Amino acid sequence: MRIVRQAVLLLRSELRQELRDFELLLSAGFFTLVLLAMFYLSFASLPVKHSLPAVPAMLWLTIAFVGVLTLTRAFDREREADTLRALLAAPIERLAIYLAKAALCLMVLMLCCLVLVPGLWLMFPAGSAFADQPGQTALLVLLGCGGYVAIGTLFAAGLATGAGKNTLLFIILYPLTTPILMYALATTRALLDHHPDLPSFLGQMAALDLILVALAALLFETVLVGAGPNLSRKPAREGRPVRR
Amino acid sequence: MRKILPDLCLLAAMPLLVYSVHRVFLETPIERQMGTAFKIFFFHVPMGWLCMLMAVICGIAAGVELRRRSALASAVALAAAEMGFITGLGVLLTGPIWGSATWGTPWTGDARQVTTALLWLVIVAYLLLRHYGPRSSDRLAAALAIFGAVNVPIIYYAVKLWKTTHPSTGVVASLPPEMWASFWPGLIALALCSLGLFGLRTRQLVLADELDAAWVRVEDNH
Amino acid sequence: MEEVTPPPSPPSPAAAAVASTATTPATAQDPAYGPAVGRSLADKEKLRELEGVASAKSARDYQHVILAYGVLWALFAGYGIFLWRRSARLRADMSDLRRRLDQKTP
Repeated sequence: MRIVRQAVLLLRSELRQELRDFELLLSAGFFTLVLLAMFYLSFASLPVKHSLPAVPAMLWLTIAFVGVLTLTRAFDREREADTLRALLAAPIERLAIYLAKAALCLMVLMLCCLVLVPGLWLMFPAGSAFADQPGQTALLVLLGCGGYVAIGTLFAAGLATGAGKNTLLFIILYPLTTPILMYALATTRALLDHHPDLPSFLGQMAALDLILVALAALLFETVLVGAGPNLSRKPAREGRPVRR
Repeated sequence: MRKILPDLCLLAAMPLLVYSVHRVFLETPIERQMGTAFKIFFFHVPMGWLCMLMAVICGIAAGVELRRRSALASAVALAAAEMGFITGLGVLLTGPIWGSATWGTPWTGDARQVTTALLWLVIVAYLLLRHYGPRSSDRLAAALAIFGAVNVPIIYYAVKLWKTTHPSTGVVASLPPEMWASFWPGLIALALCSLGLFGLRTRQLVLADELDAAWVRVEDNH
Repeated sequence: MEEVTPPPSPPSPAAAAVASTATTPATAQDPAYGPAVGRSLADKEKLRELEGVASAKSARDYQHVILAYGVLWALFAGYGIFLWRRSARLRADMSDLRRRLDQKTP
């Protein structure tokens, strides 16, 4: 309960900061619109039967790209003001920091999906199933974004603590999140096809999300601050280090 | 004994490789449906298994590295990732060659092919992070390796979830006995070869670490 | 594939005409000689065509097999060369260190 209380406090602080200038939301939202426009220009002439497999791809590619932008910007703020180090030094559970950051990024992504999903529905006739099954669509988007954000928050935080290069987040995040995106793609296709196994697919996504959140939460503190004293790490030598 | 174990593995692998090639080409009948191209199976499948084994070893070593900040575990993780890269590349190249010969298309896009490719991409991401990341990224790389190891069972589960044109896991189980007898020597030979190279690389990395420490001491005393 | 013994070729019409006029009553009446039975020419040509397809596939398969095995050996050989070069670099570094220590100790 203490962790939840601390996470809620941190989240409120994050939201208060975001509500000052809406920087994260506006940049992520605008990027979503731009991607939607690019997809429309690229695929508007597709016949309906071909746009059916294209719509899930457009949805999840957009979320993947906007997700990296959101995670990068969310932690850039901490890096610029060096507040992440202060947070880590404060008497707060590290898990609460993880949950607060993940919740913020998830909220931003979900708000972007409020633009994205209706946009896809309007632009592509194959997206009409989103309007027919709003509850399942919302749950699908929540589970897919949740899994994505669970992994992304861990690695974005890890890169933010050191002199991490932002480009490394692209290298790390896309291969790792592709399994959850694959599940999301298959489930979205099942939703558009009105497949009877859709509840089972959603259940499996939920199970995968739980595994990813648990693993990321377990590793968060160790990745950011390390575990215990350095048992055998030797200092780097000056001069010419031998190439490994 | 432990020091010469990698060399022993490589020495044992040589004659076994020769024997397995002899068995596969001269003593194994030609598979009725897939023809001669089926001979690729006897090395393609072991490479796939070894890739997943190396990914798991990398993940476990990364976990130990995170927990204990052990240089040996770090060396094991990097060596396992490099071996996983080699074996994964072998699977991704021989698979389309086999597919092209048997089904007329190199890439069928089924679940197992795609998820094996993803596992390989995770291994490449780990190697890039280890080589080009900042000094503090070793913990991040370890976390990446752990996530990659968790992806390994997802690969097998994905086969059950989606309809696939890849031969199901039943291919190995339903092999006739004479083909099983040709499969195991190839698997053992490749496993010994891979473990030998993995052991050599681990030894190299540990030695490089110790050399670095020795140089630091020499420069400190200067 | 099981060996197909080619059936005895049927006699040509000219030979048959000669045989019929020749005074060899033993050939016509001899029970050891039965009528020639075998595949028709069309069947034989189809069989030849199928054998051609099978041997072409076999040849193509062998090319794929050689390519696949070549890729595997090249990968392992490449990694072996990489390890060898790294070892050489480590040995050079070790000898540098030894030289440095020898310089320092009188």
